[in-house]
Amino acid sequence: MSDFEYEARRARLEPLLESARSLADASTERGQRARERLIASSGLSPQGVDFALARCLEVAPNELEIAALIRSTPTAEVAHVLLSANVFVAAHRAIAIALASSARVRVRPSRREPEMAELLLAGAPGSFQIVPELAPRAGDRLWAYGSDETLDEVAVTLPPGVALHAHGSGFGVAALAGPHSESEISTLLIALAEDVALFDQRGCVSPRVLLVDAPPAQVAELARELARELAQLDQRVPRGPLTTAELAELAKYRDTAQFTGEVFEAGLGFVTLGQAGNWLLPPTGRNVHVLPSSDLVATLLPYRPLLTSCAFAGQPDLGLALRRALSGARICRFGEMQRPPFDGPVDLRNS
Amino acid sequence: MTRNARSDQLHQSVRRFATGERAHSFSDLALRITAFQREYSAGFARLCQSRQRPIESVDDIPGVPCDAFRLARVALQPEDEDRLRFYTSGTTSGARGLHAMRVTETYRELALQFGRAALLSNERAHHVVALAPQLDEPPTSSLGHMMAMFMVDFEQRGDIDVRTPERWLIGEQGVDLKGLERAAARASERGETLLVLATSFALVGLLDALDGRELPLPGSSVVMQTGGFKGKTREIEATELRASVARAFGIAATQIVSEYGMTELTSQLYEATVPGTALQREQHGNPGVYREPPWLRVVPVDPATLEPVASGEVGIARIIDLGNIDSAVAIQTQDRVRRVDGGIELLGRAAGAPPRGCSLAIEEFMTARAR
Repeated sequence: MSDFEYEARRARLEPLLESARSLADASTERGQRARERLIASSGLSPQGVDFALARCLEVAPNELEIAALIRSTPTAEVAHVLLSANVFVAAHRAIAIALASSARVRVRPSRREPEMAELLLAGAPGSFQIVPELAPRAGDRLWAYGSDETLDEVAVTLPPGVALHAHGSGFGVAALAGPHSESEISTLLIALAEDVALFDQRGCVSPRVLLVDAPPAQVAELARELARELAQLDQRVPRGPLTTAELAELAKYRDTAQFTGEVFEAGLGFVTLGQAGNWLLPPTGRNVHVLPSSDLVATLLPYRPLLTSCAFAGQPDLGLALRRALSGARICRFGEMQRPPFDGPVDLRNS
Repeated sequence: MTRNARSDQLHQSVRRFATGERAHSFSDLALRITAFQREYSAGFARLCQSRQRPIESVDDIPGVPCDAFRLARVALQPEDEDRLRFYTSGTTSGARGLHAMRVTETYRELALQFGRAALLSNERAHHVVALAPQLDEPPTSSLGHMMAMFMVDFEQRGDIDVRTPERWLIGEQGVDLKGLERAAARASERGETLLVLATSFALVGLLDALDGRELPLPGSSVVMQTGGFKGKTREIEATELRASVARAFGIAATQIVSEYGMTELTSQLYEATVPGTALQREQHGNPGVYREPPWLRVVPVDPATLEPVASGEVGIARIIDLGNIDSAVAIQTQDRVRRVDGGIELLGRAAGAPPRGCSLAIEEFMTARAR
């Protein structure tokens, strides 16, 4: 890529970044208006929206990250973006990737969460177009985000010659190994609770399972402590309302876990404790299933196609082994699962 | 008293209850079995404890989610006391659940008693075939085992061999149309009533194989259909399937009866549509409405609170099955149901919560894990 082309791409990103910065700032009129609109569309509590904007909207990516994003993004005649709902800050990264690809960007927001794209456009007028339907042609690229079912439907309707970058559903895990002091454990669990609570766990990097390489009694104590941290966080950043279907899944999950293991109340959600190998994926809404594992890599390997993110705390060599084994997942520290570097798509599974 | 002695006593009480000796009420028996299971199942004890209120009525008994059968052993007895092991299979959730039974007599007596009431429509001899794959040994499918029991019991020919290919009309090539034609011809010649036991999916396969042709059965023939489609390639709406099967076989639609059962249960429910059956004589039933046997009760509950809904409201089925003495007396399903005049209306499975955003849905997780 020539310097000229790089700079052209870089220049297209700047208005978007500036727009995001003004949205994140709660003291501005734009920031306040964004919060009002996002509460209605996201299903999060007012505090949940504020928490997500403050913690997850990338307002100050460093130049190395931006360079990685620009250099890893292929060029397109027109870049199209199909957004998914609820993890509203994801619109920012998705549009940035499209702007790195082309000067002509068309965005179709989710029908359930149309606000973020509109808010970003209002602060960067003309930088991209919001359209009710996408109509990509040969030579164009489409970045599509959503459930695997939606993406399968998109794939079969695309005309020939359109490159599809599909980023489907997934989930995150946290893995804890090695000796840690009490205060370290406390810090780690506070950080993990924040990873869980952001977006009420509806993101594809949200942690749903915590694996712990420790004796059973210690694992149980960690589960209890995580439940306490989540309950405390729920006081500060309450969970938003759940739909009837989500509440039904929660009831089923709680009773299944009650029968097969232990259940700890965690604010409005639950931390459940299972036996080694007894995977149970909790529903979204701030629920975590905790499992002992004496071999983190072997335990996680079967789930690699679904794993987008893995927070790890433990010995560096084990961290390296995880990185090698889970090549499609972003390996990060506790508390950083919802803030991956602004270097391209969050989901690396197809990279 | 030992665990098994208490269990045996409960089995006897339930079998007596089923034959009409009502020394105990349904509620009494359900609560006695609940107390027994609470004592010997740590998982069930935790589930009861979590309700934080005394269990004083049938409506208070917490249902063990069907998922628990996949994730843990639900049986009270140790593995070496299992006499039957039935596995769930083919659901979209992937992993197989196990329902292990220590006592087979109760399963046999309950299944036969209500099966006879729902399926036997006259005094003539019966010939029974299954649109199902050959039974495995030992049987791991509760449905296959039940079909085999029906063959022996309903035909009343003594200890016949039910493992012959003439009985099981699904093979590697699909539906054995010739075999079914032979069974129909035999029933006609001998003046027998033909009973065809089939899964819904097998019936779709049969319709596909017939490709619009007919395969006439004797007019008195009865077709029992059961089961959903479980992620198979083609689904047909229940009313359409019934009409198509009736047309293909040249029999009245009322001769087709649906059964509702699941591996996690000991007992079954049936429609009361077939003229001449004990169930139909008791009260004529409409298609889609399932009659509970006296030893089983369906409690429609709110899917979020799991509290019983008002009569006539739609809920998900919590099933209290007195036959489940050594496993889980109350099962919490995700099947949507409504109590109506004459029984329980089945409204299909409650869909899981659609994912909001890009979080992985639980169904997706289970499906992917099963691959």
